[in-house]
Amino acid sequence: MAAEDLPSEFDVVILGTGLAESVAAAAFSRVGQRVLHLDRRSYYAANWASFTFNALLTWIQQHQEEPQPEEVQDWSSLLEEGEELIYLSQSDSASIRNVQVFCYTSEEDEEEEEALNTTEEEPKPDSADPQAQTEPGPEEASHTEGDEPESLQLVPPAAQNQSEPSKKKISYAHLVREGRRFNIDLVSKLMYSRGSLVDLLIKSNVSRYAEFKNVTRILTFRNGRVEQVPCSRSDVFASRQLSVVEKRKLMRFLTSCAEETEEQRAYNGRPYMEFLSDQKLGDNLQHFLLHSIAMVTEATPTEEGLAATRHFLRCLGRYGNTPFLFPVYGLGEIPQCFCRMCAVFGGIYCLRHSVSCLLLDTHSNRCKAVIDSRGQRISCSHVVLEEGFVGADRKRTNTPPRFLSRAVLITDRSILPTDSEQQVSMVTVPPAAAGGPAVKMVELSPSTMTCSPGTYLVHLTCPSIGPAHQDLSPLVTSMFRTPESPDHEGPSVLWSLFFNMADGSGLEAEGHDLPENVYLSSGPDAELGHDHAIRQAESIFQKVLPEEEFCPPAPNPEDILYDGDTLGDTADGETGDTIGDITDKPPPPERRDGQNLKSE
Amino acid sequence: MQQELLFKVLVIGDLGVGKTSIIKRYVHQIFSQHYRATIGVDFALKVLQWDNDTVIRLQLWDIAGQERYGNMTRVYYREAVGALVVFDVTRASTFDAVLKWKDDLDSKVTLNHGRPVPAVLLANKSDQLGSQQPKLDSFCRENGFVGWFETSAKENANIEEAARCLVENILNNEESPVVEREPASLILSGFTNTNKDPLNCSSCMKQ
Ligand SMILES: Cc1cc2nc3c(=O)[nH]c(=O)nc-3n(C[C@H](O)[C@H](O)[C@H](O)COP(=O)(O)OP(=O)(O)OC[C@H]3O[C@@H](n4cnc5c(N)ncnc54)[C@H](O)[C@@H]3O)c2cc1C
Ligand SMILES: Nc1nc2c(ncn2[C@@H]2O[C@H](COP(=O)(O)OP(=O)(O)OP(=O)(O)O)[C@@H](O)[C@H]2O)c(=O)[nH]1
Ligand SMILES: [Mg+2]
Repeated sequence: MAAEDLPSEFDVVILGTGLAESVAAAAFSRVGQRVLHLDRRSYYAANWASFTFNALLTWIQQHQEEPQPEEVQDWSSLLEEGEELIYLSQSDSASIRNVQVFCYTSEEDEEEEEALNTTEEEPKPDSADPQAQTEPGPEEASHTEGDEPESLQLVPPAAQNQSEPSKKKISYAHLVREGRRFNIDLVSKLMYSRGSLVDLLIKSNVSRYAEFKNVTRILTFRNGRVEQVPCSRSDVFASRQLSVVEKRKLMRFLTSCAEETEEQRAYNGRPYMEFLSDQKLGDNLQHFLLHSIAMVTEATPTEEGLAATRHFLRCLGRYGNTPFLFPVYGLGEIPQCFCRMCAVFGGIYCLRHSVSCLLLDTHSNRCKAVIDSRGQRISCSHVVLEEGFVGADRKRTNTPPRFLSRAVLITDRSILPTDSEQQVSMVTVPPAAAGGPAVKMVELSPSTMTCSPGTYLVHLTCPSIGPAHQDLSPLVTSMFRTPESPDHEGPSVLWSLFFNMADGSGLEAEGHDLPENVYLSSGPDAELGHDHAIRQAESIFQKVLPEEEFCPPAPNPEDILYDGDTLGDTADGETGDTIGDITDKPPPPERRDGQNLKSE
Repeated sequence: MQQELLFKVLVIGDLGVGKTSIIKRYVHQIFSQHYRATIGVDFALKVLQWDNDTVIRLQLWDIAGQERYGNMTRVYYREAVGALVVFDVTRASTFDAVLKWKDDLDSKVTLNHGRPVPAVLLANKSDQLGSQQPKLDSFCRENGFVGWFETSAKENANIEEAARCLVENILNNEESPVVEREPASLILSGFTNTNKDPLNCSSCMKQ
């Protein structure tokens, strides 16, 4: 565990432990490449990370501080003839902006039920400036025990009448005390049960490192109400909100969708909305089909709408009643699963370790080594970099980066409380105004091991128009009880976080001035699924090793036969540790509980 | 009816102390003098007929290249119920690292009631020790190890005993419900036709 020097020669050096980088690391290591995987942060998974409540408070604090001026160390003394340095950017603050936190619950446990607190001031859009929010309330002193952000907006509980007597309110102190039970993801995505991530997890056997929950229901928010979207056959039949006629129409539509027809082709290029309305399905069904099943906008062309609908239907029923899965302990587990696979095949990991520069061979215009922040020269044949490492000076175009708006809410009950301790809900929220962004909302219950019993974790995501709070707080107040919506019947928001995160989907379009053996990966994109990152990892892998298989199945540990597997003492030298043949026989089920799902 | 229990056990300790050798000795009854860094193996499975009613499947999780630099993924620690912390009696630095490993363990995983997972200390390569090894009883008491053993993977000394000691402690914890399993987590698996009977392991999931 000592801070010894790293080995100085690798095939591939990978910087950043986000999903794309981690998948690439696993893929390279799996086929025998020597991989060094570094992250300058102290945690795995970069902007894909999940944090305990307390770790999230630290993260918030870090992102509200002024970015430290970059300290550029001069390593030119290490250069030999025909070599040049490319300095990497050392700060990653650019990918996260406008971090704002609101605490709406009382600070300490209360004997009596407390009324909701109210915020005294409107949130300031410019909250990246720590000064803007450092208005210590009277109670602030008692809970600033080091790791909490100063800017936490805590307000003294206001003594108000509370009409509905409910269970004991959850205090801020309770959230902190139970902090380890939270695994709060920075990104909010779901896994399509036939999407590229699930396929890859199964194919590579990385799935053995994680367990999953079904998303149990699809909800939509319409006319101020939360409704369940019937999507599977059994849902449709069980649905109480659909009339018999609607049920029949919906079933017929979903069945006819499966195959492309002449009639559908005639709508190519025209909005899906138009196609739907010509099917005479009625408002209800049209809403469900457009917003909750295809999850597209009114302007989306028919062929795309239908493709999305088919994908949804294909994924349906593989593992449950909805097309989606969610990893137990949160999405932040997924990159770590791939890192573990990389490490098992010899990849070396080091966090809190950054690379200062790439070393360029001026003749071949290839990067032949990297130099870490201690000045160690580590030679390599290929480098994979997370986008954030590349300084602005290396970007060819100057398109303004796109952002996602994110909100994370801790609430006290489900937005549709039926058997809710077990529910995992995907909620689609159509744009409030035409052309506005559709908000994707995921509500996680404690069964996902991402929040403490008695609380719910709500993730909201949309493409940014402005700061996250501006984009998302109107929806929050229309769905939840907050100090701005004190009479709302919905769940109360106990604590909330808003921030903007760079949208990684823009990467391909942009060119970078980098040596040909340096490959860029990007952070999370706005899509609900994970295809973008998986595609990126696979394409990097194929550029480097076009002949090799991408993530072949890792041997099942129970099937590994050691060479020289004889009883008694052997001193068989050479073959001691190699993995022998992997038998073809199907291995026994891996673990003890739950359903052991097969791919088909 | 027989109950089957499955326990995830971590085998941790500095580079080259003999973690893999111990696992291979224990599970595969082999030993090799030749040192190779461990590659490609997640865990090894040891099946114990514990008593007439109980079969225990021990998943022994070896550590891979990454851990040398002290950055374990949560995936490695997740849901472990016990650990073997190994040092090499011929190298003092590996003993010094024992507490670092123990601290890392305790900070990353606890049993549900908040208590640390039981850990047994293994003083390995005892075949190389000429003189008497100092007793580690008080060291264990002070640092929260449930026991210690002088082991040798080479001469097959005390490994079974150490594992037995750990399992006993794990079982003690099991009596007070340890793992509050969530019902119906999905495990994705690529294997299509399993002609063996599915593992019957009811006792692990309904604690
Ligand atoms: C029975 C049981 C099983 C559990 N299983 C799991 C599980 O499988 N998966 C799981 O995730 N949790 C699980 N937990 C919760 C787990 O114990 C811890 O909450 C979690 O592992 C984090 O522990 P930590 O305090 O060591 O690290 P944290 O404080 O969460 O930090 C983790 C690492 O990231 C770094 N870090 C965190 N935040 C920041 C930040 N803002 N800035 C810089 N660095 C940061 C830390 O330095 C540290 O290295 C389980 C708990 C129990 C009781
Ligand atoms: N004499 C003796 N040698 C041992 C014993 N156990 C392991 N060794 C030797 O110590 C060396 C390292 O053993 P490994 O089992 O590979 O150690 P490890 O802890 O798995 O090493 P890493 O995986 O690299 O961290 C090998 O050469 C083994 O043969 C033992 O009990 N006695
Ligand atoms: Mg080993």
